[in-house]
Amino acid sequence: MATEILTRPVEDAPTSRWHSIFTQENIATTLASLLVGAAVILPLFAIILSSFQILDSSGFGTEWGLDNYRSLLKDRVIYGAFVNTLLISSGATLLATFLGVSLAWINARTNCPWRGKLEPFNLIPFFLSPFVGAIAWHNLAAPKVGLLNNLAREILGIKGHLLNVDNIYGVIWVTGIFFTPLVYLFVVGSLRRMDPSLEDSARTTGAGLLRTTLTVTLPLVTPGILSGAIIVFVTSAGEFGVPFKLGAPYGWETLTTQIFTKAVGDDANHYLGAAMSMTLGAITAFFIWIQRRIIAPREYTTVTGKGFRPNLIDLGPWKWAALAYNLAYLFIAVLLPLVCLVIVSLHPVWEGRIIFTDLTFWNYKKTLFFWWPERIVSATNGIVNSFILAFIGASIAMILALVVSYMIHRTKGFGSRLLDFLCVIPIGFPGIVIAMGVLVTYIKTPIYATLWIILLGYITRFFPYGQRNISAVMLAVSEELDQSSRMAGASWLTTLKRVTIPLLKPGIFAGWILLFVIFLRELSISIILYSTGTETLSVGVYYLTNFENEPLTSALSVAQSVVLLLCVYFFRRIAGREALTA
Amino acid sequence: MNEAANGNYLDVQGLVKYFGSDRAVDGISFGVPKGRFLTLLGPSGCGKTTTLMCIAGLHKPDAGEISVGGALFTSVSQRAYLPPEKRDIGMVFQSYAIWPHMTVTQNVAYPLEIRKLSHSEIGDRVAEALRLVGLSDMAGKLATNLSGGQQQRAALARAIVFRPRLLLFDEPLSNLDLKLREQMRVELKRIQHEVGITSVYVTHDQSEALVMSDDIIVMSKGVIQQTGGPHAIYARPLNRFVSNFIGVANLLDGRIVRVFGPGRGEIEVAQGGDKVRLPCLLADGIGEGSEAVLSVRPENVDALRDPQGLGAGIRGEVIQTIFLGNCQDCRVRWGDFEWKVLAHSRERLRPGDRVYLRLDPEHTLAVRP
Repeated sequence: MATEILTRPVEDAPTSRWHSIFTQENIATTLASLLVGAAVILPLFAIILSSFQILDSSGFGTEWGLDNYRSLLKDRVIYGAFVNTLLISSGATLLATFLGVSLAWINARTNCPWRGKLEPFNLIPFFLSPFVGAIAWHNLAAPKVGLLNNLAREILGIKGHLLNVDNIYGVIWVTGIFFTPLVYLFVVGSLRRMDPSLEDSARTTGAGLLRTTLTVTLPLVTPGILSGAIIVFVTSAGEFGVPFKLGAPYGWETLTTQIFTKAVGDDANHYLGAAMSMTLGAITAFFIWIQRRIIAPREYTTVTGKGFRPNLIDLGPWKWAALAYNLAYLFIAVLLPLVCLVIVSLHPVWEGRIIFTDLTFWNYKKTLFFWWPERIVSATNGIVNSFILAFIGASIAMILALVVSYMIHRTKGFGSRLLDFLCVIPIGFPGIVIAMGVLVTYIKTPIYATLWIILLGYITRFFPYGQRNISAVMLAVSEELDQSSRMAGASWLTTLKRVTIPLLKPGIFAGWILLFVIFLRELSISIILYSTGTETLSVGVYYLTNFENEPLTSALSVAQSVVLLLCVYFFRRIAGREALTA
Repeated sequence: MNEAANGNYLDVQGLVKYFGSDRAVDGISFGVPKGRFLTLLGPSGCGKTTTLMCIAGLHKPDAGEISVGGALFTSVSQRAYLPPEKRDIGMVFQSYAIWPHMTVTQNVAYPLEIRKLSHSEIGDRVAEALRLVGLSDMAGKLATNLSGGQQQRAALARAIVFRPRLLLFDEPLSNLDLKLREQMRVELKRIQHEVGITSVYVTHDQSEALVMSDDIIVMSKGVIQQTGGPHAIYARPLNRFVSNFIGVANLLDGRIVRVFGPGRGEIEVAQGGDKVRLPCLLADGIGEGSEAVLSVRPENVDALRDPQGLGAGIRGEVIQTIFLGNCQDCRVRWGDFEWKVLAHSRERLRPGDRVYLRLDPEHTLAVRP
C-alpha cells in the first residue's frame, strides 16, 4: 500500500485570530445561545418590571410602586382566586397521585390481565386537551344540561341533579383525572427499573409481601411519586382551560382566569396581570426548584438504568378487580368524555338528552370546512393557524434544542452551564405567565397581533421539552462518534449533518411529535396572545363555548381530539421502530 | 520541508494543557521520526490522552507548538490552530466510534467521500483497506452487527483508508478481552508496519507498549519520566516511578557510597540493623553520596541455600514459595523488606529456609528516587 497522503498538500495552520473565532461551531452555538437567552430573559425581565408599575386613574400613565401586589391581599376577588388556585392544585394533586400510583403499581408489578395492552391507553389523557375534557364533563354532569343527570332523572327518577361539576370540585375532578398520567409516567418507570433483588432480599429476611411493599418498594419509588406530584401541582396551578370552563362562570376564579381577565377584555390592566403572573410564577418556580434540586437526585432506581424483570405479584382473583379499576379509569377519563362530545356535537341544540331524530353533521360543516362561506371564522382560522404554528414551531424548537443540547453536552465551561440553567427556567413557569411576559415585551413591536408572537411564546415555553428528548439520546451517544468524523476530515457542519443528527434521530423525532401535539392543543399562551385572525384551535374552542353553543364547541373539540389521537398513534408506531436503530 | 529541524516528523514542543486549575499536561516536548511507532505510556490521569487530543486538534493546548511534516498545526504563541478536519490525521478511539447508522463500507468510505474521490476509486481503496484489516467479508454489514474486535478493525480501516500523515491510537485495545487483545496487538503492529504511517499510541498497559512500540515515553502527572526503546525502558529505568510502573521490581531506598567509573558504583542499603553494600549500575545523574533507589527485577535475583560459606550479602528467610516449573516464585524476608525472587536454584525452597540472595551485578540498578 502506497503511503502518500491523499489530496491535500502539507499546510500550515492559519495564524489569524479571526480564523479561530469565526468557526461554524462558534457561530451556530453563539447564535443559539443569544436566541435562547433573549427569548427566556426578556419576557421574565419585562414581567418583573411591569408588576411594579401602577396604572394611574386616567388609565394611561403609570408610576412605580407595590400597589399591584397589595391588591393581591386586599382585592377580594384576586385573594379568592389565589386561595382557589392552591385548593384546586392540592386537590388535583391528591387525586392524580392516588390514581397514578395505583394504576402504575397494577401495570408494573401485578399479574393484572391485559396490562401490556392497557399501558398506552393509560397515557392518552396526557395527550388530550384538559379544556376539552372540562367541556365534555360539563355536558356530562352540569346540573341542567348534563347527560348523566338527565339519565339519572329519567331512569332513577331522581329529582334535581345527581352530579354537579360546575364548581371547584368539578375543576379538581377534571384536572386530577387528566393529569394522572404525569404521576403514572414517573412511578411506572421507577417500578419497572427497580432491581428485583432489592425486594427479594427483603423477602429472604422474613418480611411478608405487604411489609416488603411498604418498607422497601414504596420508599424506593417515593422520589418518583413526589416528582410526579409536584409536576401535577405546578401544571394544575398553571391550567387555564378547566377553571375557565367549570370554575370562573360559577364564581370560582383562579389566578389563571384572573390573569386572563386582566390581559384582555374591558378592564384590562397588564400591570396587575403581571403582578399576578409573578405570584403564580414564584409559586411554580419554587416547586420546580425543589423537584429538580432535592427530589430528582434521590431517584435511586433510575441510576442503574439496567433492564430488570421485576417480580410480579399474584393478586389471585383480585386481579379482575384491578383490571376493572383500570378500565374504570379509562372509561371516566377517555371514553365517556369523548363519546359525550360526539353525541353533543351531532345535535343542533343540546338540552341534556339524546334526540335521535335531530342528529346532524351541520356543526362539523360550520366549524371544520374552512373553505365554506357559512363557516364560523374564529373556529376555522384556528385549524389552519394551529397546523402552521405546530409544524413551524416544532421544527424551529427542535433545531434550537439540537444546538443547545450540543452546547450543553459537548462543550465545557461557563456558557454550557448557563445554557443548561436557561433551559430549566421556562419549565418553572406556566404558559400563561410566559405569555404575559411575551405580551408586555412585544406589545409595541410589529410582531404583536401576528402569528409570530404566538410562535415565540410557544417556543420559549416548550423548547426545553424538545431539548430534554435530544439530551436523553445525546447522553447515550459517545462524543467520540463526532470526533472521529472530524478526524476523518469532515467539518463541524458536515459532522452535524452526517453523524450527529442521524444518531439523534429518535430523540429529535420524539421531541418533534411531542411539541407538535402540545402546540396543537395549546390554550393558555394562545388565549393571551391571539387576536382576530390569529386564533388557534383551542382559541376556536374557547370562542365557540363562550359565544356560540355547546354542539358547535363539541364538534371542534372532537376534531381536535381525533387529530391528537392520530398523532400519538403515529408517534408510537414510528418512534418505536426508530428507537430500535439507536 | 518534510521534517522539523531536529529530524522528527511529528514534533511537539513545550505542550501545556490545563483543565480548570489542573495541569493535565505540564510542558512536555518530544518527537517521532517518520514511520516510527511511539507509545505514550502511563497510569490514568497522567496526561497521555490529553497530549494525543492536542495532536489531533480536538483539544487546544494552553501553550506549546505541534508540527507535522514541517507544517505548523498548533502554535499557541503564534495563535495558529488547524482544525482537526484539516490535519489529515487518522485516529482510532477507545470506543472504536464506529457509526452505528452506517454499514462497514459506509464507515470506511466516509473519509474518502469527504475528500470527494471518484466513486470507483472509493470502492477500490475501501476494498483494499478492508482486506488489510481482514474484514472483506463484513463489508455490507451494519456496524452494530460487528463484534468488538471487528469494530476495532473497521475503525482502523477507516483511519488508514485516506492515508493520513499520522495515525493516533487512544487505548484502542482496552475494551477487548485478554485473548483478543493479545492477538490484536500483533495485528495492529503488522498493519502499521505494512502501511508505514508514523503512529502515536496511548496506553496504560505496559506489556502492550513493550510489544508494539519502536519508542516509549513513560508519563506521570503530566510530565515525561523517561523516553527510550522498549528494552531500554525495561532494563534501564531511570527512576523509581518507571521501575515500579514497568514490570515488577524490588525497590529499596539507599545511598551511593562509591563510584568506580562511568556508570558503575556501589550502593548501600540497610534493613533491620543489617547493612550491605552492593555493586550496581548507576542511572544518569547519580553520583557519589547521592540518595538513590536500588532496583532489581525478581528474575535477576537468585536464592541459594546454605548461606554460611558465601561471604557478605543479603541473608533472609523464605516465607512463601510458588513452584512455576522453570523457576520458583519466592518471597524472602529481609528485615522489614520482602524480596520478590524468581529463584532458579535446583533445590526446592520451602518456607522457613534461610537463604542467601545473589544479585546479578549487571542488572542491579541504582535509580533516581
